[in-house]
Amino acid sequence: MPDTTITLDVFRFQPDGGGHARRSTDGPTFKAYRVPYHEHWVVLDALNWIKDELDGTLSYRWSCRMGVCGSCGMMVNGVPKLTCAAFLKDYYPGTIRVEPLTYFAVERDLIVDMDGFLGKLKSVKPWLIRENEKPVDEGEYLQSPNELASFKQYSMCINCLLCYAACPVVGAEEDFIGPAALAIAQRYNLDSRDQGAAERADALSADEGAWGCTFVGECSEVCPKNVDPAGAIQRVKVDNVKDWYRKLLMPWGHR
Amino acid sequence: MTFKKSNEAFWWSLFSAGGVLSAMFLPAFVVISGYVLPNQSSADPGRAPYEHIHGIVSWWPVRVLLFGVIAFTFFHVAHRIRHVVNDLGWRHHTAPLSLVCYGGAFAGAGTAAWLLLTLPSVAQ
Repeated sequence: MPDTTITLDVFRFQPDGGGHARRSTDGPTFKAYRVPYHEHWVVLDALNWIKDELDGTLSYRWSCRMGVCGSCGMMVNGVPKLTCAAFLKDYYPGTIRVEPLTYFAVERDLIVDMDGFLGKLKSVKPWLIRENEKPVDEGEYLQSPNELASFKQYSMCINCLLCYAACPVVGAEEDFIGPAALAIAQRYNLDSRDQGAAERADALSADEGAWGCTFVGECSEVCPKNVDPAGAIQRVKVDNVKDWYRKLLMPWGHR
Repeated sequence: MTFKKSNEAFWWSLFSAGGVLSAMFLPAFVVISGYVLPNQSSADPGRAPYEHIHGIVSWWPVRVLLFGVIAFTFFHVAHRIRHVVNDLGWRHHTAPLSLVCYGGAFAGAGTAAWLLLTLPSVAQ
């Protein structure tokens, strides 16, 4: 081990006792691990070192280690971060507390249950909807650079859920669709190839949709891909207000 | 998932209008009524600041503008306070909270309307 080390205080929860029957009723605990300190290491490197060298039972999700896959989101000293982008040097010499993303149920150690989010995501129909799909031999749906630019930012979401762990409304309202899913819905509504805004409207215009947002803005602060979900939700609200007044003033019009 | 229909769009539209109007006009109002006119009037001792501002405010287009800015700003504040209180933890059975917030905004807007309607015009 090199001269310098850094301590990680890691959230541990193994409902099955991690193979130790006598520990099976243990609640969540924190366990401190001393790991070698390297300037170029990120928190994920340290976790991998712990798993390889100290404790193979430590469980967490990761894949690309380059900010693309969105798997390794955790709370690092209380802030939602991609652990592949959280450098040890930004915390050294202090202790780093690593916890699972807050507001989510914990399955094991640093792994959270994503099923609730996936259901919410599905509820906004995040795919291209066409009234009439044109035959393949008529070619692709062409799009200008400007049309692409109008939604591209919102399409950069990697579903890492940092925004959910940052949003106090997610913590307070279990059914709130949440920042990422709302931003992704707006991404499809803004896509010139999409005709599904009406099908998404029920979800987006509900109290559980955009109107649940109280514009705290933390989602955009923590987003590692600069998606700006808070901005997307504001645009959902503006579109919804237009629909609301259109229905009020022209109740005979469809939609 | 089933979703509850929301009328939040209406209240948010008032909130939004108030935000835009207050951001656009309030700084200008502060500069005009708090700095420009008092200083201009001291350079022109024949015209006291109060009378100068009174003359401007009693012009009907200005009364309408002031009413719009004040009334929508009240609704902006009411909506923001309601949501801050929601965020602080009062999230269920919020009807009394909404009543106090928006009721206060209606009262404020009504008072502004009454004051602006009854403001006597300045004899030119």
